[in-house]
Amino acid sequence: MAELFPKEHVVGFIGSLVLTIAALSVVWFDVSMVIGMIILLVTALIQAAVQLMLFMHIGETDDKVDIWIATLFAFGIGIVTIVGSLLAMVWGY
Amino acid sequence: MAHHVDHSQPLEYSTPQNRLNIYGFWIFLGAEIVLFATLFTVYFTLSDRTGTGPTGEEIFELTPVLIETFLLLTSSFLIGLGVHAMRLGRKTPMIVFYILTLLLGLGFLIVEIDEFFLYVHEGATITTSAFVSSLMTTLGTHGAHVTFGLFWGTAIVIQVIRQGINARTANKAFIFSLYWHFLDVVWIFIFSFIYLRGLM
Amino acid sequence: MSFDAIVAPLSEPMVFGTFIGIVVASLAVVVGLTYFKKWGWLYREWLTTVDHKRIGVMYIFVAIIMLFRGGVDALLMRAQTAIPENGLLNSAHYNEIFTTHGLLMILFVAMPFVIGLMNIAVPLQIGARDVAFPRLNLLSFWLTVAGAILINVSFIFGGSPNAGWTGYFPLSGPEYNPGVGNNYYAWSIQISGFGTLMTGINFITTIMKMRAPGMTLMKMPMFTWSILITSLIITCAFPVIAVLMAMMTLDRQFGTKFFAMSDGGMDMLYANLFWVWGHPEVYIVILPAFGVFSEVIATFSRKNLFGYGSMVAAMVVISTLAFLVWAHHFYTMGHGVLTNGVFSITTMLIAVPTGVKIFNWLLTMRHGKISFTTPMLYALGFIPIFTIGGVTGVMLAMASADYQYHNTLFLVAHFHYVLIPGTVFALFAGYHYWWPLIWGFRLNEKLGKAAFWVMAISFNVAFFPMFILGLDGYARRMYTYSAATGYGPLSMVSFIGALGLAVSFILVAYNIYYSFRYAKREGSDPWDARSLEWAVHTPAPNYNFAVIPTVTRLDEFWFAKKEGRDLQAGKIEDIHMPNNSQSAFWQGMAMTLWSFFFVWAEWIPATIFLVATLAFMAYRSFQKDDGYHIHVAEIEETERRYDENGGLRGAK
Repeated sequence: MAELFPKEHVVGFIGSLVLTIAALSVVWFDVSMVIGMIILLVTALIQAAVQLMLFMHIGETDDKVDIWIATLFAFGIGIVTIVGSLLAMVWGY
Repeated sequence: MAHHVDHSQPLEYSTPQNRLNIYGFWIFLGAEIVLFATLFTVYFTLSDRTGTGPTGEEIFELTPVLIETFLLLTSSFLIGLGVHAMRLGRKTPMIVFYILTLLLGLGFLIVEIDEFFLYVHEGATITTSAFVSSLMTTLGTHGAHVTFGLFWGTAIVIQVIRQGINARTANKAFIFSLYWHFLDVVWIFIFSFIYLRGLM
Repeated sequence: MSFDAIVAPLSEPMVFGTFIGIVVASLAVVVGLTYFKKWGWLYREWLTTVDHKRIGVMYIFVAIIMLFRGGVDALLMRAQTAIPENGLLNSAHYNEIFTTHGLLMILFVAMPFVIGLMNIAVPLQIGARDVAFPRLNLLSFWLTVAGAILINVSFIFGGSPNAGWTGYFPLSGPEYNPGVGNNYYAWSIQISGFGTLMTGINFITTIMKMRAPGMTLMKMPMFTWSILITSLIITCAFPVIAVLMAMMTLDRQFGTKFFAMSDGGMDMLYANLFWVWGHPEVYIVILPAFGVFSEVIATFSRKNLFGYGSMVAAMVVISTLAFLVWAHHFYTMGHGVLTNGVFSITTMLIAVPTGVKIFNWLLTMRHGKISFTTPMLYALGFIPIFTIGGVTGVMLAMASADYQYHNTLFLVAHFHYVLIPGTVFALFAGYHYWWPLIWGFRLNEKLGKAAFWVMAISFNVAFFPMFILGLDGYARRMYTYSAATGYGPLSMVSFIGALGLAVSFILVAYNIYYSFRYAKREGSDPWDARSLEWAVHTPAPNYNFAVIPTVTRLDEFWFAKKEGRDLQAGKIEDIHMPNNSQSAFWQGMAMTLWSFFFVWAEWIPATIFLVATLAFMAYRSFQKDDGYHIHVAEIEETERRYDENGGLRGAK
């Protein structure tokens, strides 16, 4: 039975629960928008990394460099789209 | 495909076509990242543009959102165990883990649909304001992915039950697990940057 | 849907005449196929094929048909504006024509032509037998066709989109545009865009994972490099347009408020997201062009490509910068100085890698033994004309100056100066260059060169006057003007140029007929080329390479030729091939009908075809299709016939 519950996955699962609770702190405590967004960004990115590395095994084959580049490039384009659009339509308008 | 099976690798990677399928699916997930980033762009641009309708703070409720988060996180954990069991060649535990994953996904959907009814009940329909349009479209796109996943996952479970774990079914089951984990990652961003940011 | 609404456009004589023409032509095709008993052949050998070369041919066939449709739109526009106060088209019809012209030329001419060339050339250039996902490739093709069908039936059934190819809100919104025209717009882009996204993923996987042994990334032919970068841009840009078109559909058909004028909606968000996709789209159609020119210039200068590494670096830089410049398309929409400044600088930066490439091509030709073939003429014509397009682009990049040029014919002239020598010339260069790979003979060179010269000269006659007209304040998309504006004479010149362009395209098409009839078949490698695609027999057999070659350097084929080595020497083994796919074809048809009924908000048939689409996907999931093997004896027999006859024309 124990072999069905590898340590990596259990640790990842507990980690994701802890990170969710950590993110909730922005609602429970009175934090400023900036601090709150930083907390959310950090917890969300770590959560994403947990999923990618512990659950999805992103680095398990020889293709890991390609896959990391594709994922991070897409993520970068996503960030640029969000930030650039807000610059054009909200902050810089 | 039956030819050139490489037994030194897990079954899902064991043929050239299997390796191509997994690689291609990762690239597809890159496209999905941009798709959801676009939805976030829309949401961030429109989240304060509520017109005469309610704001996020007025309609968001933490409890159902926490239930949804917990269901999806757990299902993501379970499908990881499913893949692990598959690699051990343990067909029955694999199927059990996959079915539990899909059931939790179904639970997530039910809670989310209930949440949508609540919004509508509070006067926030998809036509109320740009804010609600963007909220429901972003959540709806994620929900549609989960719904599609339920059908897809069911098809795979049926094939594993019928054919057992082989190069073909293992490949499909593994790719489906990537999809499911990815939906969990997207949900974490929705949870953080739509709900928690809105309630902050 | 009421019958009157569906057929309303037919009350216009011009539309009715075209409709009759289409019906007659379609009937002729149907009768011809039936008479010659070709239906089975068409279905088995083409419509359901997963052979990347045939899919490529079908893409280019679609692109050429659409080129004529889009070209007729262009001719009508130039004819309408040739003289002041002209009454050839009314304003509503003119709006539809310029909208479908732009949409067709970008999405259903440039895109399928590019994708057709990459289908034909890329797997051969990297020494592969097919793409990574052959069935998906066929589905992508049929989704492109689905989009093309939707946009082409729109002008008969219900009316074409009329808010410009950009479809800006609020003009394309439900208040100002209540008909179905812009529903067609959204669905046409949505469904063909989905196919294109799948193509992008398919080619990234193919190029990254299926190269011949020894072909490292830096030993890939430049066209393959350009397609790799293009595919990466496709994969990151097309999801944006998918979301945007879904939002447009929701706003138009379900009353959401994304781009509405009330309830917090924001019409500028549409323009913003359109260009988040739209600017990378420009690079999606121009980078493959750069790839084609790199192959053609190196081949016909009899030299290796100058500055290979810097070419690659330039494209990698462009792949990122392409996503950083989009707001320059709407400088005048009211955002602040900081925003315009940021996007102005990124825009000017992108001229740098492009400049690097221009100099690399010039230096490739330096001291080369240049042969002036048709593909090479297109490449040579491209450099000076494209540079005018590039320089005027830098003028437009300066935000403060752009307030003067914005939405004038100056802009129209600029982007035609980029897209015609850049994309269209490259597509024709690639088309003439790779033609023998598929058919085993070259297109007639005399006709090809004549078409080039007519095209290059007419292009300048048609578009150079627009720079001047634009600076004089001629706004784009005006259906007419008064004589007092003084726009008449130059507009007439432009119309004459447009007629010349039409002649050149007819010459290109006539050359197909002429060459099929009169050209002599030739052996492999008729151009004495450099890269691996020419190592196959021509016309290329369905398995491409009897033996997959091993690569040790860039232009391996060229060096092997000089050293007298046979790249396909080695032991022939059974070759595994994918089966044809009927379900991909029928799934494409189901998706066409699904989106057609969605356009008309006919939910019952739309749901039926959506379910049919999902059923095809489920069928695919449960299908066990291991493909088939071509056995050694058969391969040896095929190869022997090539060696004896110098080719296989007419044989499978």
